[in-house]
Amino acid sequence: MTETKKEIIVTGKEKPRIGVYVCHCGINIAGVVDVVKLKDYALTLPDVVLAREYKFMCSDNGQSMIKEDIEAGLINRVVVAACSPRMHEPTFRLVCKEAGLNQFLFEQANIREHATWVNMYDPEGAYEIAKDHIRMSVAKARKLLPLEVQKVKVDPSCLIIGGGISGMNSALDLADEGYKVYLVERTPTIGGHMAQLDKTFPTMDCSACILTPKMVDVGRKEKIEIMTYSEVVDVSGYVGNFEVTIMKKPHYVDQEKCTACGSCAENCPITCGNEFDLGMGTRKAIYIPFPQAVPGEYTIDMEKCIKCGICAREDVCEPGAIKYDDKPEYVTVKVGTIIVATGWDLYDPTELGQYGYGRYPNVITGLQMERLLSSFGPVLGKPVRPSDLEAPHSIAFLQCVGSRNFREGGHSYCSRVCCMYATKQARQYKEKHPEAEVYIFYMDIRAFGKGYEEFYESAAENFGISYVRGRIAEVREGENHNIVIRAEDTLLQTPIELEVDLFVLSCGLEAKADADQVASLLSIQRSADGFFMEAHPKLKPVDTLTDGIFVAGVAQGPKDIPDAVAQAKGAASSAAALMAQGEVEIEPYYSVVIEHLCSGCRTCQSLCPFGAIDFDEFKKIAVVNPALCKGCGTCVSACPSGAMVQNHFANFQLNSIINVAVKQPTVENGGK
Amino acid sequence: MSDNVEKYIKRKVHKGMSTKISQKFIDAGLEKIRACINCGTCTGSCPSGRRTAYRTRSAIRKALTGDESVLEDIDIWMCSTCYYCYERCPRDIPVTDMIIKLRNIAVEEGFILDSHFTLASDIFYATGHGVPANDPEAHKQWRALRESYGLPPLPPTVHSYPEAVKECQTLMNEVGFRALLDNAAKLKAKRKAEAEKIAKEKTEEEKK
Amino acid sequence: MSEYKWRYAFFLGCVIPNRYPMIERSIRDVFEELGAEILDMPGASCCPAPGVFRAFHIPTWLVIAARNISIAEELGVSPLTGCNGCYGTLRDAWYDLEHNPEEKKHVNELLAKVGRQYKGNFEPKHVVQALYLDMGLDYLKDHIKHKFDDLKVGVHYGCHIVKPSDKRPWHGEYENPQFLDEIVEITGAKSIDYKDKYMCCGAGGAVRTAVKEVAADFTREKLVNMRDAGVDIIINCCPFCHLQLDLGQVEVNNFYKDIIGEPFKIPVIYITQLLGVAMGMDPNRLGLIKNHDLKGVSPFIPIDRFLDIVKEQII
Ligand SMILES: Cc1cc2nc3c(=O)[nH]c(=O)nc-3n(C[C@H](O)[C@H](O)[C@H](O)COP(=O)(O)OP(=O)(O)OC[C@H]3O[C@@H](n4cnc5c(N)ncnc54)[C@H](O)[C@@H]3O)c2cc1C
Ligand code: SF4
Ligand code: SF4
Ligand code: SF4
Ligand code: SF4
Repeated sequence: MTETKKEIIVTGKEKPRIGVYVCHCGINIAGVVDVVKLKDYALTLPDVVLAREYKFMCSDNGQSMIKEDIEAGLINRVVVAACSPRMHEPTFRLVCKEAGLNQFLFEQANIREHATWVNMYDPEGAYEIAKDHIRMSVAKARKLLPLEVQKVKVDPSCLIIGGGISGMNSALDLADEGYKVYLVERTPTIGGHMAQLDKTFPTMDCSACILTPKMVDVGRKEKIEIMTYSEVVDVSGYVGNFEVTIMKKPHYVDQEKCTACGSCAENCPITCGNEFDLGMGTRKAIYIPFPQAVPGEYTIDMEKCIKCGICAREDVCEPGAIKYDDKPEYVTVKVGTIIVATGWDLYDPTELGQYGYGRYPNVITGLQMERLLSSFGPVLGKPVRPSDLEAPHSIAFLQCVGSRNFREGGHSYCSRVCCMYATKQARQYKEKHPEAEVYIFYMDIRAFGKGYEEFYESAAENFGISYVRGRIAEVREGENHNIVIRAEDTLLQTPIELEVDLFVLSCGLEAKADADQVASLLSIQRSADGFFMEAHPKLKPVDTLTDGIFVAGVAQGPKDIPDAVAQAKGAASSAAALMAQGEVEIEPYYSVVIEHLCSGCRTCQSLCPFGAIDFDEFKKIAVVNPALCKGCGTCVSACPSGAMVQNHFANFQLNSIINVAVKQPTVENGGK
Repeated sequence: MSDNVEKYIKRKVHKGMSTKISQKFIDAGLEKIRACINCGTCTGSCPSGRRTAYRTRSAIRKALTGDESVLEDIDIWMCSTCYYCYERCPRDIPVTDMIIKLRNIAVEEGFILDSHFTLASDIFYATGHGVPANDPEAHKQWRALRESYGLPPLPPTVHSYPEAVKECQTLMNEVGFRALLDNAAKLKAKRKAEAEKIAKEKTEEEKK
Repeated sequence: MSEYKWRYAFFLGCVIPNRYPMIERSIRDVFEELGAEILDMPGASCCPAPGVFRAFHIPTWLVIAARNISIAEELGVSPLTGCNGCYGTLRDAWYDLEHNPEEKKHVNELLAKVGRQYKGNFEPKHVVQALYLDMGLDYLKDHIKHKFDDLKVGVHYGCHIVKPSDKRPWHGEYENPQFLDEIVEITGAKSIDYKDKYMCCGAGGAVRTAVKEVAADFTREKLVNMRDAGVDIIINCCPFCHLQLDLGQVEVNNFYKDIIGEPFKIPVIYITQLLGVAMGMDPNRLGLIKNHDLKGVSPFIPIDRFLDIVKEQII
């Protein structure tokens, strides 16, 4: 049945013969409106030669109905009145194509989302709206023209922005599949936040032990070109053919010559706070972020460096790697796909004045606690409290700091990792100090992952961690810089006051501060929570709305390492699927210039947000590059001469819809 | 049934969210409390709850579940309107405003303390001031105190402008304040009479 | 005439004129000295109190508040209040009406019956707001003549001057405001941090009228904390807090004598009383010397201790 049929030639000149198919969508549509009546209504519309209704038009049977009608030569245009085109427009287009009809001679009327779902309790109103939609779709179908899809080549290479655990995993998978990968990381090392963690829930593997080998792997892979201390500054082109400019920030140390002996740092007189330890440890002006950093070569922090010249001395840096006059370097690469894995920032709790962060020394964030617990952290894994450097006898954690907070400045979402990381940290502290009192104040404990509930249960039962159900209202400093907590124990319905030595704020993850710039650089969207938006929350979780650009890890939304890695592998797989095809079809909705109407004013060129319009100096007219044009229509509405026409959305097509939107077709305008 | 059994076996039914009283809360603009996640930030913030039986969250919870006892309890009158709960509620519920609305409903149902009734009716409605100084005898010393600071014995407020008192009273009548107070007084008296009747019956029964 | 830099309509409220007239005196004198004209608001009433009358009937509260604001509007200036409660009412009512056109229309329909109209074109201000935001610390500093370097002050803000913060001019700061401390410290006095500094005095929300003992228990806690921190005097910016901390001290000493140890006797002083002496004004006229001829009037706690500490600086 599926052998390719002879093509049906439609030029637009012959009389339209439209088939209308009304879908029941189970009871989604048929449960609200009378689909048989709708079908009969369709038959009264101009150029409609047949109409049918069926339970599920997207099913095999439904599709065959259309196919058979086309193949029998009964119709040369198709209207399906069903759900949103977002899901099934590709399905029905393929049906047309397989039946030999140009796929752009198809139109879908969304009578489910627009009519029956929203007007479930008003069947009559829903019926009227469904009629309107069918009438408008038929009107447009009468004016449709066949179009040819464009095919473009996909370069077998991928740019990955962000070298955290997500970016690294995408990179490794793609490299193993044979694709070239450019891994661009802002800081001087890959590894991301995971490098700052001590152990990881729920298995308590040592973070460094599982991360470091991966980092080394990434460093070794020939197919992966790591560009640390670098940023993407420009992206142009389109799916399959992106052109990316990357700025390599100056290290002031020749990365080829540096042998990472560390003699420079030993001799550097400038000591400053170490970002990696969140200011709780120190580094020199010439530094590597942490001992296992990849790549391991040194970088000078010019904001701190006093240019004393010591590190450049021959007896200090034998290979002569120091390069004070180092300049930023710009490189341009061509890639077929892009994966965004830029990760997260920690919520800054300063604004929540009631918790005293920044005012009282013994109030710290969960990430600071993580560094205090780390065996290669500032206190070698023996946590002390900042005020007196003594090991705390009592610790309270507060959950949902900045998360699940619907006030201005807070995040309404659940950050998904903090219940578990607090439980982990509490357990780790209890392991070291079984006599310590550890409290976790929570609203709900979210332990939804594999092995998480067991981890939580054991924290309470085996480690004796006290879970108190109540969100802390306020704290103040007591004697000795202790922290006095006020809260309601909601299960006892009693206000309580509790004094502890150390107070840890389980801050949530939030979108990177520069997510806005990254979004506009790549023309991708962000959702209301600030993270990058996936194309579909269920079915396209790693795609963005821009073809060829994918998203992985926390960049898309808060998640733990298992989920981040899973998504990273998913993004790699989707990118690989695209590259493996070698070419992609792009929809032919680009604008075209009617040459004899164009006055050469260049208005369109200056307005096109995608730089898709060139100017033909010889003919003095605008020329659209179909591959770059996104079909936004800006030029069409701007052109003073009416010389721009957008395929599939031409004025005469849109007008045909508008004409019937508000009135019934009459004999004068072609009604039967 | 023995007293003990009655005391220890309780069959309280959760009234759900659709009772008459919860509808009243919603009509009064209290529907925002449906967002409450029972985190306890309000109770934990409450300086009153630290010394009284008043529990902000519990009051909100009772309102939400249609438990009318929240209107009778003196508890909701223990809120000093310090606004800490309003500021900190993570669900952005204007908690203090909700308590104030609850009090409005309580007054409507006749649950107003005697001292508050006197303040509202005999002082505020009558004089236009909540803390007056115009009583010829009782407030003499305050007027003298004013004069000792070179101020006129009565301030240039309603106290100096009798027609302004009338004006305020007109507004209070128009907006329904007088009627509200009169109705509250009636409901209060009715409840008191009922309570007395029951008490009397009980003592008589005991006598028998 | 217009040598004045600022003009305000003085909304007196109830407690200031009828129980603490020295506060009225000090606001009038200090503002005059600072170049601000104070206009009377003839026929103004109770604000009405935000935690009391609003709690009885919100519509009544709103329309009476709108009437009060309309009196200032007729004078063409912002209403100025020295009371946190009045501030709470005038400002919340103004905010609510400006954010709710329906409500505003309704209120104006009612006001029309007494020949008034509420427009909402003047922002209600607090005395402290006028001092801090309109005039500014530097301007105030230029008027200071005496410095009280040995004076340790427990600053009490009260609630409604900072909260609800979305309806106040302090940029959302309510946990740890500093503006009143800063004004206090330009007099050379030191603002002493004490436990639960921003806690409520206990009087508001009709609590004082309902159960005096509960209100006094709030006050007790504040007084204990202030005493522990070693304050000489209490500075506040609200006459109702002032009353609760002053008369309330007598009540605390009475209700809670078994648990407080020594009875409290901390002088309670309103911010413009302190500013006034520092600006070289007569402490007698500012109400800082008790009038012993009158019995049963404010202040209820002797204030002599304050003058003892600062007398060297002001002679
Ligand atoms: C205190 C704490 C404890 C945690 N403990 C655990 C745990 O025990 N187990 C667990 O599973 N999860 C844990 N998590 C969660 C875990 O940290 C994240 O799941 C993980 O970091 C996600 O990795 P990522 O690669 O998506 O993002 P990141 O780790 O943030 O990596 C992103 C990388 O991108 C780089 N980057 C960002 N923007 C740009 C740009 N514009 N250009 C170039 N590079 C850029 C960054 O420098 C960074 O290296 C914890 C989180 C916290 C806060
Ligand atoms: S030149 Fe800069 S980096 Fe080198 S030793 Fe001196 S301060 Fe350190
Ligand atoms: S994971 Fe836990 S602590 Fe974090 S936001 Fe969610 S519920 Fe709150
Ligand atoms: S603070 Fe808000 S969410 Fe929390 S219990 Fe109180 S009213 Fe509910
Ligand atoms: S406003 Fe009332 S309920 Fe809220 S914290 Fe203050 S006293 Fe408690």
